[in-house]
Amino acid sequence: MLSILRELIARRGLLATLTARDLKARYRGSVLGFLWSLANPLLLLAVYTFVFGVVFRQRALTQPYSLFLLCGLFPWVWFATALTEGTVALVANSALLRRAVFPVELLPMVAVLANLLHFLLALPVLAVALLAGRLLGYPVGGWSALALPVVILLQLVMTGGLALGLAALHVHFKDVKDLLANLLALLFFLTPILYPLAAIELPALTYVVRVSPMTPFALGYQELLFHGRLPGPWLWAQMLGVAAVAWLAGAGLFARLRETLVEAA
Amino acid sequence: MSEAPAIRVEAATKLFRRQAPGRHFRTLKSALLEGSLVGRATEEETITALRDVSFEVARGEAFGIVGSNGSGKSTLLKLLAGILRPTRGRVLVDGRVAALIELGAGFHPEISGRENVFINGALLGLSRREIERRYKQIVDFSGLADFMEEPVKNYSSGMYVRLGFAVAIHTDPEILLVDEVLAVGDESFAHRCLRRIEELLAAGRTVLFVSHSLALVEGLCDRVAWLEGGTLRAVGEPRRVVDAYRQAVAEAESAEHQRSKEEREAAEAAPAEAAAPAEVLRWGSGAAEITAVRLLDEAGAERYHFASGEAVTIEISAVAREPLSDFVFGVAIATPRGVECWGTNTDLEGYEPGSFSGPATVRVRCPALRLGAGEYQLDVAVHARSGSPYDYRRKLVAFTITTPRAGVGVYAPEREWRFAGEVVWRRRPET
Repeated sequence: MLSILRELIARRGLLATLTARDLKARYRGSVLGFLWSLANPLLLLAVYTFVFGVVFRQRALTQPYSLFLLCGLFPWVWFATALTEGTVALVANSALLRRAVFPVELLPMVAVLANLLHFLLALPVLAVALLAGRLLGYPVGGWSALALPVVILLQLVMTGGLALGLAALHVHFKDVKDLLANLLALLFFLTPILYPLAAIELPALTYVVRVSPMTPFALGYQELLFHGRLPGPWLWAQMLGVAAVAWLAGAGLFARLRETLVEAA
Repeated sequence: MSEAPAIRVEAATKLFRRQAPGRHFRTLKSALLEGSLVGRATEEETITALRDVSFEVARGEAFGIVGSNGSGKSTLLKLLAGILRPTRGRVLVDGRVAALIELGAGFHPEISGRENVFINGALLGLSRREIERRYKQIVDFSGLADFMEEPVKNYSSGMYVRLGFAVAIHTDPEILLVDEVLAVGDESFAHRCLRRIEELLAAGRTVLFVSHSLALVEGLCDRVAWLEGGTLRAVGEPRRVVDAYRQAVAEAESAEHQRSKEEREAAEAAPAEAAAPAEVLRWGSGAAEITAVRLLDEAGAERYHFASGEAVTIEISAVAREPLSDFVFGVAIATPRGVECWGTNTDLEGYEPGSFSGPATVRVRCPALRLGAGEYQLDVAVHARSGSPYDYRRKLVAFTITTPRAGVGVYAPEREWRFAGEVVWRRRPET
């Protein structure tokens, strides 16, 4: 697990090169380029705002709802796309793995990092939205946003660990990809992104929500960006704990299966 | 030079796991428990790509590997490159390796040749600055200066390989692994590559060279290894090893030729009165047909390898297409070069034909077939006493005879030596 981290740091130049290759190849020949990565979350934002804010007129929801939604949505999109792409990274690049001496762990991480970049590029949109909210008189945003890099780093560790583990499993079971797609659809609704955690009235349900590894992070982003305050120590501990467990489990699984990956991919 | 070898392979064995449906859980279990796909897999679940291969390559040596397709050459190269690890044994490579195995493997089709040079260089372990320094050399070598801004998906396969080779060879390797890549580029590019390989050799670098071009291997290499079916058949002086390999290929080809010819003849099941090609292997009126011939050992098992002096039964299955009262079964053994060793038939042996009117089996048992060591072919026939053939089949079955001691000729009688007088023998040292 630590050896994987060491390898990733030692080969950071190659990691950066491969991530750049991934992004360049993705947007080559497209006019809007990376702006497309914003299209999907913004569309989701419009749909959910319309459904819950306009159709159902949920007054109970935190106001302004779109801003609240946005704070959790962008990190979720990073999480979900990184896992989706990271899971297939080894199998999709099996030709490369069989032909070149190559640190295998780089490939799932490339997917995570490329999508991190999308997330970072979306942050200005979030900043503008928060600023607009403030101008309209809502108490959103603030200096607490400066702690954002720490939450992002923890989410990177968590997502990276899961992506490594899932990628290694997917080499052996091609079902992982489909399983993940369905699981993510479920987790999206289990994570307090569309609704504030406080909106859950049944106490048992608040525990169910904790199943999603993204829950503490969604809450963390909402604290930092929407409520404009630093997360409490308990929430920090949760983020740290989830990140550590996800990394140890995912990278550990990857390390265990490492020797078999090139041949089986 | 008493220096450590550049490459040392010690009893390397590489097994691959067969892909079998429904075995995913077992594969994963073994992967999780043993960190290996083949850890506790049974013999049937694996394919042996290399078996107990050992050799050394000295620093500065040009080492060739020859062998037919599927002999394990590429697997060996991948072990040396570090792409695969041996299941058992050790592979030690001392020095910076460049593997020209599948060139341009890391190329991304959508992005430009220039960017791909940088990515490929990074994959091969060069820093960005090192690539920048060598960029012009790489482009000049590839001869693709006009295409560097073009996405590589628009490259021809030759251009693709040229760029890949250019990058790989400019990584300044101490050990260069070359797998059959010179065949892809055009003549002038191949020459440029060879010159570059010779330059590296002159600079004391080690080159390991896999090729089907035997003349090239013979000309370029200091030593050659011959792999066959995953085992090392020979290592040594290029001329000797390449000749041995050529010989084996020629023998395999002639056997193949013989087999396909027989199959072709057998396929033309119709009695051949048709105009004869060089050698006709079957003819006759078709009134009776020989449908199968087998050789059986004393236990009744079908075999085509016998020790000289073993009991051999020739079993002929035949069928009469019309009721026959005049018929003779005959067998004959000859060497592949056509030396008749023995032949006989039921008429010569005193059997008066009565009737033959359907399927029948004829066996002739030789309690001790004392042929000399070598290969033999069996002719079988059913014909009328006049000699007019119903079905005459030549070289229908081939078999091999072995003898415990070498001898010359087609006959190996039972024998013993006796000596008397002033002649003394000493005990042989070995065996």
